Amino acid sequence: MTRAYAAYAARRLGQAVVVVLLAYVFTFLVISVLPGDPVTTTLRNPQNNFSEEEIARIVAYYGLDQPVWVQLWESLSRFVVGDLGLSLRSNLPVADLIGDVLGSTLRLATGALAVALVLAFAIAFGVRHLPGPLSRALRSFPSLFLSIPNFLIGLLLLQWFSFQLGLFLVVDAEGGWATFFAAVALGVPVSAQIAEVLIANLDHAARQEYANLARSRGLGGVRLFTLHLLKPSALPVVTVVALTVGELLGGSLITESIFGRNGVGSLVQRSVGTQDLPVIQAVVALAAVVFVVVNLVADLVYPLLDPRVRLGATGRATRRRTRPVQEVDA
Amino acid sequence: MKNPRPARRPHRAGRAVTAAVGVLSAVLVASGCTAGGATGAGGGEPQEGGDLTFLIDSLGDTWVPNNSSISSFQGHVWGHVTDKLVYVDAEGEVSPWVAESWEQNDDVTEFTLHLRDDVTFSDGSPLDAAAVVANLDIWARGDIEAGINPIGLFPKTYDRAEAVDATTVKVYFSAPTLGFIPTLGYHGSILLSPETLALPAEEQADLANDIGSGPFVVESWADGDQVVLTKREDYDWAPEALDHEGPAYLDSITYKVLAEPSLRTSAVQSNQAQVAYNPSPQELSFYEEQGFTVAAPRYLGFVNGFAVNTQVAPFDDVRVRQALQQGIDRDEILSTVYTDAWLPAESFIQSNVPGASDHADEFAFDPDAAAALLDEAGWVEGPDGVREKDGETLSLTLYPNPYLATSQAVDELVAQQLGAIGFDVDLQAYDVVTYTERIAIGSDAVPAYEITRSFIDAGTVAGILTDADNGEDWFNVGQGDERLNELRAGISTATSVDERDVVLDELQSHVLEQGYFVPLTQIVQRLYLQSPSLQGVSYNGVAYANYYTAWLDR
Repeated sequence: MTRAYAAYAARRLGQAVVVVLLAYVFTFLVISVLPGDPVTTTLRNPQNNFSEEEIARIVAYYGLDQPVWVQLWESLSRFVVGDLGLSLRSNLPVADLIGDVLGSTLRLATGALAVALVLAFAIAFGVRHLPGPLSRALRSFPSLFLSIPNFLIGLLLLQWFSFQLGLFLVVDAEGGWATFFAAVALGVPVSAQIAEVLIANLDHAARQEYANLARSRGLGGVRLFTLHLLKPSALPVVTVVALTVGELLGGSLITESIFGRNGVGSLVQRSVGTQDLPVIQAVVALAAVVFVVVNLVADLVYPLLDPRVRLGATGRATRRRTRPVQEVDA
Repeated sequence: MKNPRPARRPHRAGRAVTAAVGVLSAVLVASGCTAGGATGAGGGEPQEGGDLTFLIDSLGDTWVPNNSSISSFQGHVWGHVTDKLVYVDAEGEVSPWVAESWEQNDDVTEFTLHLRDDVTFSDGSPLDAAAVVANLDIWARGDIEAGINPIGLFPKTYDRAEAVDATTVKVYFSAPTLGFIPTLGYHGSILLSPETLALPAEEQADLANDIGSGPFVVESWADGDQVVLTKREDYDWAPEALDHEGPAYLDSITYKVLAEPSLRTSAVQSNQAQVAYNPSPQELSFYEEQGFTVAAPRYLGFVNGFAVNTQVAPFDDVRVRQALQQGIDRDEILSTVYTDAWLPAESFIQSNVPGASDHADEFAFDPDAAAALLDEAGWVEGPDGVREKDGETLSLTLYPNPYLATSQAVDELVAQQLGAIGFDVDLQAYDVVTYTERIAIGSDAVPAYEITRSFIDAGTVAGILTDADNGEDWFNVGQGDERLNELRAGISTATSVDERDVVLDELQSHVLEQGYFVPLTQIVQRLYLQSPSLQGVSYNGVAYANYYTAWLDR
């Protein structure tokens, strides 16, 4: 198992490097296909008054007059030695720009994930243990949460808790309460997906024989839930949580903008709006790294949660029934 | 260098979100959030201290001073961190600042600037003649190999500058440059320490490295997020025109980015901030009723309007251009899209520009006259109301200018108005990137280019009329209009403002009468919603708010 595991880990790592490099190159090509570049766009602003000769010299300073493949080669050779280059928009080192915003997004994403998990587990628990009508009402919450766009939740939270109750100031976007409410705005739609999967799997587990046995032995309520139903139902949740990382990163763009937070999402927004290629490439590469790492972690967690998940002879993790149960069979 | 990059226009989906957010917030606001804010009209004696929060839609791109100083966003920060050689007020009047006085030769090719001797940068180094020469050189030429752009609007006739002694600078031009002194008050002409100017772009891009001599210094900043300024206690060289000496009243100014306009205004309403920049015009009357202040200062420059391409049919026919000129109901634009804070156009330059004269009668709305002109030009009304001639329909494509938030609403109205006299008007809206890529002034595909441009001296007008001396040739006439050539030459070679004003008056008549420039309204590109507790704000000739003179009534 250890050798198989080492081989497995090495291959996963190799794949990860290829994925990150491909993401980097792909981003470059996609942005290069678009018309225009940030420098020329800025210089041709009607408020400016540059001659064509001046524009050509300035564009040359940024190396944007070079053929695309030369630019790609230069960018790639910098990237492999860890140099992310300079932002075309701000002239600042890309690594500094990302370093400045990473903390904010990590706090927001972690907070949102925590909110999502707490909400999802609370709903799932409520669905199983509250009286009929309340339970049925709770079952509709995930669909409700999914259908409310997070900018709407964000605006309502700002309106009530900041503008009316004064619990936090919009200018202090990184403060405790501000971060909490931003995390709620981002976490609510994410909680819906987790809750749906959790409820379906709890329903499934509750109909299993071991659950009936536990009930017949007098186990009920919280103890049945935590001891017998939760653990088998939690495995698909890990898969869903891994998948929601994309949601958290994508959703952070809108949430950060609404709450005036300076995170990766707002950096992406500024950079995409100005076709700031070096920053976009670096962020995409970073996102690729995050996805790869999160998936890796999820894979490593499965065997701990479910002993049935084992590494096969090929060193490939064989997950059994890791696909979430989506429907309740009658 | 990105002026109104206000409109890094969101793409389609983004715009839909923005629209939804706007509607929702308007509803929330209207449904009665009554948090504090309107605290009476104030007045009385200025009070020391206080922290001002200014909510802004963006903080622009780079902070390399030359590359950013004319940005509609960063200009706010530069205006407080740096000084200029002269001050230009909202009426275009030039008065001394770091330059106490100046002289020029008869040909207007040599200038002598006499500087104050007590001005220092915030690092303690003197703002002397050598520093001024370093600034003039970098404005004129930049240091492109180090990533520093020149200031595009600085006179191209600049030859060189010399420090005669510590407080005297001589500046030489290759041709008469009447606009030089006013240009020194332009938002691009900010004075920085020679040490800053010597840094490469990536270090100048760190705002903390940019040392000015202004009444505030940079306390902290984060790219795209916020800039915190604190007052400089030893500041004592404000322009006389501002009527205030010594350090600023306010302790600090925080510029904080909040992208949604309705959230900026809600924050001002709930007393979390004192100023919301660029609120939507539709919200203003609601806030005014609640006691908030709206400031809509005009910049010096061209009015908002169309530069007509005279080489594109049917606009090669002067009668069609004149029909366009008379077919637009400007009063309806003002009352539909804007509020009372917007003024009607009187010419193709804003009425506060020295030398601008009132020509409103020459392009007044007259749909009957417009129809008659089109009849005369052979454009006959077809069955669907659209005019035709030789099988061609009378069509016009307008491209709303993404640098002006209200442009699309205005153009939609113009399309209706022109439709009524038989034009078939098509609207094509693009985001900033696509717009700058595809929509060039004078190109065959662009019959009418929508102008938004500020300038500080009316002499700038000479540079856009024809293609002489690398002119921009906005109307695509080349040098084919003799009268226009004469008037352009008259302006660019004038050696006194009085002499130039006479020519300028004739020029305005000629351009309007020929239908080269079709004005819409005077332009307000910087709009401020303010808490009533904020007093004493002044606005300069490029419509930037100056909080050196401001104070908070607490």
